[in-house]
Amino acid sequence: MAVNWEILDIVSGDQAITSMFLFWGMMLLIYFLMQNGLSIFNDVTKSMSRFMLEKALGPGIDLVEDREGSASKAWFIQGMMWLIAASTLAFEGLWLKQDPTALHSLSAWGYDPTASSLLYASNFAALYGGIGMLLVGSSLHIIPRLSGADLASERNATLVSFLWTLSVVFLVIAAHDSVILGLNIFLIGTAMHTLGFVAIAINLLLTVSERKGALPIPGWLIMMGVLADPISVVATVLTGSIETGTGQWMLAQMVGGTFFFATAAGVALYVSSSASGNPLWSRSLGAATLVGALATVNPLGASNGRMAADMLGVAFEQLQPSSQDGIAMAFLMALAIIPVMALAANLMMTLRGGDAFIENPDSAGVSELNLGASMLLPLAAASLFVQSDALSAAPELSGMSETMLLMAIWLVLVPFSLGAALHLFPTVTGRSLLSRNRARWAYWMMGGGALLGLTVSLMSDLIDMSLIEATVEDPSALSADVQAVGAILFYGTAVGAIMHSLNSVSGLFRGAMADADRATSSSITMEDYSLVTPTSVRKILAGGADLDTTVVPVGESDDAGGPTEL
Amino acid sequence: MSEGGSGTVGEFIQGEDEPSSSWVILAFGLVTSLALLVLHGILYPGRDLPVISEILPVFEGVFDSGIWFFILGVMIGVFAIIATMMTEATSE
Repeated sequence: MAVNWEILDIVSGDQAITSMFLFWGMMLLIYFLMQNGLSIFNDVTKSMSRFMLEKALGPGIDLVEDREGSASKAWFIQGMMWLIAASTLAFEGLWLKQDPTALHSLSAWGYDPTASSLLYASNFAALYGGIGMLLVGSSLHIIPRLSGADLASERNATLVSFLWTLSVVFLVIAAHDSVILGLNIFLIGTAMHTLGFVAIAINLLLTVSERKGALPIPGWLIMMGVLADPISVVATVLTGSIETGTGQWMLAQMVGGTFFFATAAGVALYVSSSASGNPLWSRSLGAATLVGALATVNPLGASNGRMAADMLGVAFEQLQPSSQDGIAMAFLMALAIIPVMALAANLMMTLRGGDAFIENPDSAGVSELNLGASMLLPLAAASLFVQSDALSAAPELSGMSETMLLMAIWLVLVPFSLGAALHLFPTVTGRSLLSRNRARWAYWMMGGGALLGLTVSLMSDLIDMSLIEATVEDPSALSADVQAVGAILFYGTAVGAIMHSLNSVSGLFRGAMADADRATSSSITMEDYSLVTPTSVRKILAGGADLDTTVVPVGESDDAGGPTEL
Repeated sequence: MSEGGSGTVGEFIQGEDEPSSSWVILAFGLVTSLALLVLHGILYPGRDLPVISEILPVFEGVFDSGIWFFILGVMIGVFAIIATMMTEATSE
């Protein structure tokens, strides 16, 4: 039941590169309009948009509160819940790769999942449910702060979070079975998702339109990331390339490189400065990240355009680019390493400040940001190889592309979005997380589980690929054992997600009030260290001081002591 | 001793702090239960456990993969979150 988009194919030919030019042109237009407004239509558009966000919804809008931060809170909590669902689905998918009949008993209920359907569903749950909701929640807090204005409609943003969650539910169901009772579930999910997305984009645009000064780089990254998502869809539909495998693949990369990468970059840059207390290390690198995210093709993502095709209801086509498209795409992907390097360097240097240590390492979320920044470059380079291979006539690395996508999700995008949410949590909700110790444990469970589990899964993929290449008849025995270990290790991610959610939910009710919470906390931290004799830095640190301790020199003299004068 | 006698408070008091050694009692109880199950196997070799042996076949063919232990863990975690939300929201 494919949708025919050909009626909108207003550009002759179906070359994918044409879509890129159209996309760049529309993004430049958007930038111009954001800077200069809509001239005489400004006031009309603004008042109309505000009406659509609140009054047009009738009594429904009164179901949610208008308190500052309520929207971000709703998005954060739902995003964390989605991470539990996503990690569980991914774990089950990894398990079923080595034990395909493990869940066969569920077929009695009409649910007959396979490894690929579970992993596909987990990608929707993680990307649009977990990462997407956490990024939007952070954006709803960050954009008003950077603009110096209130969020245009706190209530609409809160209400839309539930619509967004419902759309992800539909997408996850559709990933298992796309047609139920003759209805294309993907299209229903996409329609709801589009509605929510447009509402959020308008909300953020209205907020930015009230800005008091120039919008800093993280703000532009977030805005451009949010706006580029629908624009990339329009560009590929108008050129007709959405009907081709190359266009579908490119749309997936464009959405991945803009909404997910650029927005995550903006959120992570803001939080890296906010959490460490250091100013953003380099504006030039921030600008390079912004321009690079829009002008290049990010290699982090799937090596086919199945998600894009399914969400738009078109028939999925294999990626078979023409030589011209292949060269152009490979070139643009290679260029994407520039914004990736710029972001990783900017994040790390901002987190570390002027020394070799991360500032404020005990703050929840900082560890996640550091993990994401550390894994970004190696995974982008690895993905570049896999994606370049996918563009060739006879791909040889396609066997590991699924695991590479999981690594990009769970080791880059989830740490960025979750880390930002955890750091902003006290500011948004007014209460801290219940326990920093639990947050630290959850970080190790989640990060360790994803890193070890997916690395071992990658080993299993490589074993499979090697044995297939060597034409071994039954390659499953060896790789299945390795895959089982990978799945079990990845289970730590699900446990970590549950611990984070439990910590946040409990923090909402019993967490310390945010204004009473100290910026840093450690059992051995000292506020002041009195220096009475010359000593080494090692001894000061061993005495319980940390990098924020104030060293106070105490005067001494060689004069003979005497009774204290009263 | 009567409730109204000297030295008594006269009402029920529940402590807020949990003694650190209380978990030893729970662990001891668990170990004892397992020991008794083992003892049943020794004393009555070849005989099924009462009640349990009749219930377990109901689930035969359902939980026949190790994945269910992990899914059970996730379900416990999710229920813990729901329970926390409910108790926190309804507590004074």
